[in-house]
Amino acid sequence: MTSADTLTASLEDYLEAIFHIIAEKHAVKPRDIAKRLKVSYASVTGALRALAEKRMIHYTPYDLITLTETGETAAKDVVRRHEVLKDFFVEVLAVPDADADTAACLMEHSIPKAIVERFIEFVEFVETCPRGGDKWIKGFSYQCDHGGKQESCETCVASCVAEVRKRTKKGDEKAVVSYKLKNMKPGQKCRILKVRGRGETNKRILEMGMTPGSVVELERIAPLGDPIDVKVKGYHLSLRKDEAEGIDVELI
Amino acid sequence: MQSKIVVALAGNPNSGKTTIFNNLTGARQHVGNYPGVTVEKKEGFCEYKGREMRIVDLPGTYSLTAYSAEEIVARNFIIEEKPDVVVDIIDSSNLERNLYLAVQLMETGAPLVLAFNMSDEARARGYEFDIEKFSQFFNAPVVKTVGHKGEGMDELMEEIIAVASRRSESLNRFSVNYGDELESEITKLESMLRRHFPLTDQYGARWLAVKLLEKDRDIMARIGSAEIDEQVERSAAYVEKMAGEPPETSIAGSRYGFISGACQEAVRSTIEIRHTISDRIDSVVTNRVLGIPIFLGLMYLVFSLTFTLGDPPMGWIEDFFKWSGGVVAGWWPEGSGSLLKSLLVDGIIGGVGGVIVFLPNILLLFFAIAILEDSGYMARAAFIMDRLMHKIGLHGKSFIPMLVGFGCSVPAIMATRTLENRRDRLVTMLVVPLMSCGARLPIYALIIPAFFPQVWHAPMLWIIYVIGILLAILSAKVLRSTIFRGESIPFVMELPPYRMPTFRGVLIHMWQRGWLYLKKAGTIILGISILLWAMTTFPGLPDEEAQRFEKEKQSVQASVADEKDKPASIASIEDARKEEELRTSIAGRIGHALEPVLKPMGFDWKIGTALIGAFAAKEVFVAQMGIVYSVGEADEGSETLREKLKDNYSPLVGFCIMLFCLISAPCMATIAITRRESNSWKWALFQLAGLTVLAWVITAIVYQAGGLLGIGI
Repeated sequence: MTSADTLTASLEDYLEAIFHIIAEKHAVKPRDIAKRLKVSYASVTGALRALAEKRMIHYTPYDLITLTETGETAAKDVVRRHEVLKDFFVEVLAVPDADADTAACLMEHSIPKAIVERFIEFVEFVETCPRGGDKWIKGFSYQCDHGGKQESCETCVASCVAEVRKRTKKGDEKAVVSYKLKNMKPGQKCRILKVRGRGETNKRILEMGMTPGSVVELERIAPLGDPIDVKVKGYHLSLRKDEAEGIDVELI
Repeated sequence: MQSKIVVALAGNPNSGKTTIFNNLTGARQHVGNYPGVTVEKKEGFCEYKGREMRIVDLPGTYSLTAYSAEEIVARNFIIEEKPDVVVDIIDSSNLERNLYLAVQLMETGAPLVLAFNMSDEARARGYEFDIEKFSQFFNAPVVKTVGHKGEGMDELMEEIIAVASRRSESLNRFSVNYGDELESEITKLESMLRRHFPLTDQYGARWLAVKLLEKDRDIMARIGSAEIDEQVERSAAYVEKMAGEPPETSIAGSRYGFISGACQEAVRSTIEIRHTISDRIDSVVTNRVLGIPIFLGLMYLVFSLTFTLGDPPMGWIEDFFKWSGGVVAGWWPEGSGSLLKSLLVDGIIGGVGGVIVFLPNILLLFFAIAILEDSGYMARAAFIMDRLMHKIGLHGKSFIPMLVGFGCSVPAIMATRTLENRRDRLVTMLVVPLMSCGARLPIYALIIPAFFPQVWHAPMLWIIYVIGILLAILSAKVLRSTIFRGESIPFVMELPPYRMPTFRGVLIHMWQRGWLYLKKAGTIILGISILLWAMTTFPGLPDEEAQRFEKEKQSVQASVADEKDKPASIASIEDARKEEELRTSIAGRIGHALEPVLKPMGFDWKIGTALIGAFAAKEVFVAQMGIVYSVGEADEGSETLREKLKDNYSPLVGFCIMLFCLISAPCMATIAITRRESNSWKWALFQLAGLTVLAWVITAIVYQAGGLLGIGI
């Protein structure tokens, strides 16, 4: 539940407007709001009072209007919902920009947060799933624009399978070059691919500079075979082999 | 009237923070080269151009998570006490990792000054910094300093004052951009926090949100809202799904990304050094073949420095106190039974002597430890020994205290200070007394020849020492899996570059430790000494008894016997008197009362009474046995005492005495120092009780089993 839920749809519109005007001009006057929302000056004053009561804005007549911290979060929230919806209409449903905007404006006040998140997840899923993908969405928008079937289903599926093969092959290649840091030999230089596992130890490993992408060099192994000494970001760090268990690297 | 400026010094361990603190305040404080030397919060005052400043030296940390007590202390100070200026001391020869803390400090919104310390080392490594650019990136002034030469201190002061006076105007929080997925979750959490956590604004909503996503236990507990925890779970799961890595990873990655971006813009590297001197030293010192011999050699050096070199001054101190005891005793007529005399000579002078006698050991040990730490070798010692120590659930650094324990538990327990983790420290502290200390040697030296044939002398001693070591390992394991259960403490630790220790730093360290010992442990030891004196003295012989001994003496004096024999007879009466005195003293009565408890171990009240006296110091056991067997002043070489023991006890009991002395409660000085170092009576008493019970159980088992099997009866 967010604070914006306690606001009416029209108040949310006001909040959104104030947010956008601040982003553009840094200063908000009631007149700008009236102009933007195409409402009368009087109704703006009423709405501003209501918002001030809910501690969303700092408002004193004849002075500049600013958002409170709560107000800003609430506004951002509305804006985000608006954008997610609009994106979905434009990117997935291939709706023209202006129409999408209007529809989003109408829907943004009533759509629950959880569903907004689902929209995002759905878009992500469609983009990455081999059975969906960019092409699939583009195919839909093509169909909307042109109507009817474009190509035969068989060729489409074939090209899809080829795509999947290419992807998994790439994955295999990656699997071949990934080693465990703890199995490296002294003097070997490598790049961190992944730091798996969690907990305090892992967090500390990351904070000490062993982040994915960093280059590390195994300097030496202690005389008794554990811990190891690695050079990372120009300094020496020692860690036990079982602490380095979750660190995957590639040789460079 | 301008108020005092409060300045907090933050920084990584080994960044030279303590040196700068000393430069600014002139305070005497240890300069270390080992992660986490500064554990306590230290303060000092200074004045610059008429402005007074209170400078707080925060513990050295790598980050501001809830990873260790030090980090929590540091960040709570910054966030809750809101110092006027936070100075982040950065080792500029190791810039990227040091800036990680700077980024986090920046995120707290604290008014920041960055001190690029050790800039001479950085220059030698070929780094050139664009100070202007750094200053822009971090939205804070940057000053170059060289701590050990005192360079850049005035500039630092100027910036501190400038930032302090600007403070109220600008408090815009700079922050790293964590990427869309995280940012949206951060926003979500921020708004939730504002509604559910009244202190949100004090901490800063964004900062809290980021900490929550990093799964910071301390912050979670502080907020204590199930709703927020749930949201954090959801957000973390979402981020992980979207970004393919948990939020901790992304957050650390983004921070380092920001740092490396800044460094790319503002650092120029003019020369490339493949192997520094430090690397070359390491290739010898931690070498697969040479590493362990070098380590053992150095440890031998530390041990012999502490105990061999410490022995003569200990002798002098003992002699001095014996002499001053004699002088004081001289104020009373010969043979006077004055209580005041006894209190002064045996109680107070003896007690003070018992405190100061450890000082040479402690000073020498900490001289050696300071050199090991400041040079950077201590981290390597831990690196080399960790495999072994980790097996028994301890940290590589526990090795040194355990080793020193063979000399004396008191400096050994003080040496646990090098362990940063409280759990590790406590376990080490609790098991150290099982390493058979030097003061127990006289007991073995008295008993082994009394009961065992020549060929068994060396193996017997060896067996006793090995039993101690095995028990220490076992107890450590047991403690780690019961009271101190939990994930073993990570060994993720910096191996700092080797640096030359400064003589001044080493001396300051030595002095601080010695002083701390005298002030904190000394008073407890003195107190217990006097208590023990009272227990062995009071209530004293009843008048008629005392008169009886007096009469006997007089009758010997008056008798017609050979003048030559008289002193011997008088001495034997005196010995009998002392025995009687001890028998009727509180200690003697406790010894008697304890007999049923002592029986299963084969001990009688005489051994019990001697053991009570031995709590003052283990070697006192020998002297006390001498008194209860009326052989007068006995030492470990006394054949008469050995004869008496042989006549009264079986070899099995002899072995049991050694076993009990090895395991049982260490001397009062050990308890006192454990109290001091663990900062709680709880652990000191736990150690006392635990070891005594352990000793009782093991000795009783050995005695009973020996009796059943018919060994050594």
